[in-house]
Amino acid sequence: MLTSKSLQFGAHAIKGLSRVSNFSKLVAPATITPRKPYVQGGELFSTTATSSADGENEEEKRISVTFVDKDGEETQIKVPIGMSMLEAAHQNDIELEGACEGSLACSTCHVIVMDVEHYNKLEDPTDEENDMLDLAFGLTETSRLGCQVIAKPELDGLRLALPAATRNFAVDGYKPKPH
Amino acid sequence: MQATSPVDPRVLDAMLPYFVSRYGNPHSRTHLYGWESDEAVEAARAQVANLINASPKEIVFTSGATECNNVSVKGVMHFYKEKKKHVITTQTEHKCVLDSCRHLQQEGFDVTYLPVKSDGLIDLNELRSSIRTDTGLVSVMAVNNEIGVIQPMEEIGQICKEFNIPFHTDAAQALGKIPIDVNKWNVSLMSLSGHKVYGPKGVGALYMRRRPRIRVEPQMNGGGQERGIRSGTVPTPLVVGMGAACELAMKEMEYDEKRVTELKDRLLNGIRAKLDGVVVNGSTESRYAGNLNLSFAYVEGESLLMGLKEVAVSSGSACTSASLEPSYVLRALGVDEDMAHTSIRNEPAL
Repeated sequence: MLTSKSLQFGAHAIKGLSRVSNFSKLVAPATITPRKPYVQGGELFSTTATSSADGENEEEKRISVTFVDKDGEETQIKVPIGMSMLEAAHQNDIELEGACEGSLACSTCHVIVMDVEHYNKLEDPTDEENDMLDLAFGLTETSRLGCQVIAKPELDGLRLALPAATRNFAVDGYKPKPH
Repeated sequence: MQATSPVDPRVLDAMLPYFVSRYGNPHSRTHLYGWESDEAVEAARAQVANLINASPKEIVFTSGATECNNVSVKGVMHFYKEKKKHVITTQTEHKCVLDSCRHLQQEGFDVTYLPVKSDGLIDLNELRSSIRTDTGLVSVMAVNNEIGVIQPMEEIGQICKEFNIPFHTDAAQALGKIPIDVNKWNVSLMSLSGHKVYGPKGVGALYMRRRPRIRVEPQMNGGGQERGIRSGTVPTPLVVGMGAACELAMKEMEYDEKRVTELKDRLLNGIRAKLDGVVVNGSTESRYAGNLNLSFAYVEGESLLMGLKEVAVSSGSACTSASLEPSYVLRALGVDEDMAHTSIRNEPAL
């Protein structure tokens, strides 16, 4: 009972840390790359604060990404270099589920890259990513997992389509909130 | 054994516990019944993979080779339908492949049915010249179920590799009878059947290459079992049976081949010694000994069958035995209609 309470406290503490914008000044975005594909973002180091102090530097190191949802509605966001698409979507309240939080254990962050040229600029998916993609709903030839697509300068103007549904069945329209 | 085979007693032994005592659903993740079933399914998967030199991760269990052929032909073409509109297959394929191709034609795809030479093998130059930029699949069966000829798999695989086209083969009759190596043959998809290798009926396996990855549109939608390719509870006892049968086949293939060749030679020489006008349909070099398709001149096949009371033979294949037309495979070989009506398929087996 006590251990579970202390675990809960620990989890709260870590969550609190990631929201502290102080960290964005300590670690510049450029030093984050290259990142390991299996860990989502390294929340402790990410430039999560959207209202960051040094705004001018940030502008050059962001790319513009457009998410097109299943009804055709487009949302354009700015994604800092080195951030995964899943994280960027969560920060901007785009409806992209990430059930396993980027640990390559599900297919819910499945996105479809709309331009073949941008798709070719991405690195080839690993076997593990391909295995998870096999399970995705509405798979296409240019599908990728959003947690494995990391922003880089060549991807500026990337357009990502959100599939109509994910493998988490919710025919009543329920959308799970990101945890 | 072509139409089917009896279940080997050792295979039956392996299957029985999973019917009565270890009856758990292999997809139940939270208790021992599920775990032990899952373990058995994964072990069977490895046994099937070993026989074809594949990784267990590349095997998907299905209800049989017909389902595998359906998923391969229609599933591949539906997935890549934006860019690929053309399928190449042969005139001597199994009916499920031909029917799936015809169905694709109804949907607007183009299909080239390659003719075969008089020995039953395809002409590689014809294959090469029928390849188009929008060819999405080449499907050629490894061992023909009616005449027993073995197609030049390695050469076809090389051509498909050159043009980067997925190569599917129906290896239901080849499994456990001739050595199969998915890398030597360069196949992307392979259909396998349980009941042709002394395993149970109702189970099959589909080999799907992981590198480079081939994708299919699933025919059975549901909870995502079997990598999302084939949803539905995996039938543990049947799958265990297929695995056990594959393991036995691997151990005994060499001995079996010698025995079957001996039996076939005895049969053929014995018949020829007493009768003239006996023709072997299909290539005599590139064939599997356990399938001998003979035509007897001047005799009608069905009547001959009725007269042979102590021997179980067929005229054509089981799936065509209900139709009155002579076999389309023999017609593709260029056999005269009269001779086609007289053909009998003998299967010396153990």
